[in-house]
Amino acid sequence: MKILLVDDSGTMRAIQKRCLFKLGVTEHDVVEADNGQTGLDEFEKDTFDIVLTDWNMPVMDGLTMLKEIRTRNADIPIIMITTESERARVVAAIEAGVSDYLVKPYTADALNAKLEKWVPTSA
Amino acid sequence: MDVSFINHFIESATNVFDTMLGVQVTRKSLSLKDSPAPTHEVSAIIGLSGRVSGSVVVSFSTNVALKGAGEMLLTEFDDVNAEVVDAVGELTNMIAGGAKAGMDGLQLSLGLPNVVCGRDHRIFFPGNVKPVSVGFDTPWGEMAIDVGFNEVLEGSLEKVAAQETVGV
Repeated sequence: MKILLVDDSGTMRAIQKRCLFKLGVTEHDVVEADNGQTGLDEFEKDTFDIVLTDWNMPVMDGLTMLKEIRTRNADIPIIMITTESERARVVAAIEAGVSDYLVKPYTADALNAKLEKWVPTSA
Repeated sequence: MDVSFINHFIESATNVFDTMLGVQVTRKSLSLKDSPAPTHEVSAIIGLSGRVSGSVVVSFSTNVALKGAGEMLLTEFDDVNAEVVDAVGELTNMIAGGAKAGMDGLQLSLGLPNVVCGRDHRIFFPGNVKPVSVGFDTPWGEMAIDVGFNEVLEGSLEKVAAQETVGV
C-alpha cells in the first residue's frame, strides 16, 4: 500500500498519518507533499494506491492536481480533505473525478471511517 | 458591513474547537476594534475576497496557541515554533472555511493563512473598516476573532445603477 498525502499543513498531514498508522500503514508507505505541484511530481515518480489531498494550497491547488492526475490515471482513489464545503465546490470536485470527500474540521472517528473505507486494514 | 456575518465565525470557531480540540469555548461580548494592535500575542490572518475585500484575524493568547497545537499533534510545546504556527494557521483556516460556507451570497474566496507573533505587530484592515471583534474564553486562556471587510466596487456600482433606475 503506497499512499500520497498532499496538504500544505504539516499538522494536518501528521493527524492523517496518525490515523493511517492505526490501519497498519507504515511511515515507509506514505509519501508527503506540501502543494499540488510537488504532489503531482511525486505521483509521476512512483506508483500509488491512493491519494489524499487538501484543496487550498500554494503553487497548485488540490483540484488542479486532481484533474492532472485523472488525465494520467482514471482509477486511483483520490480523497479530498478540505474546508471547502459549499455545494458548488463539492460538485466541481465530483466532476473532476474525486472518489470521496471529507470536510474539515472532522472528528477522529469521521477520518478513521473514511480511511477504513479506502485503505485495506491489512496495509 | 453587515455585522451579523460575525455569527458565522462564532459558530465556526465553536465547532472547530469542539471537533478538532475537544474543548468548549465561551463567546464574550462584541466590539468594534479601534486599534490596529493585536488582541493577543499570536495572530493568524486570512484575506477575504469575492464580493468583499477584507480580512479575518484569529488572535490567540500564547497559551491557547501552545495547547491547541499540542492537542492536534499530541505533544507539548513550550515556545511558539514552526509547528505551533502551522497548527494555528490551520485552525484559522478551518474557522474561516466554516464561516464561508454560511456566507454564500458573498462568493467568498479565502487566502492562505499567515501567522504573526508578538505584542508589537499591527494589523491594518482595508480603507476605513473598523473590524468587528469577538472574544472567547477557552480552557487554556483567551482568543479573539476580528473580521473586517468592504463590499467591492462591483456591488457599489450595482447599487448606483439600481438607484438611477428608480430615479433616486
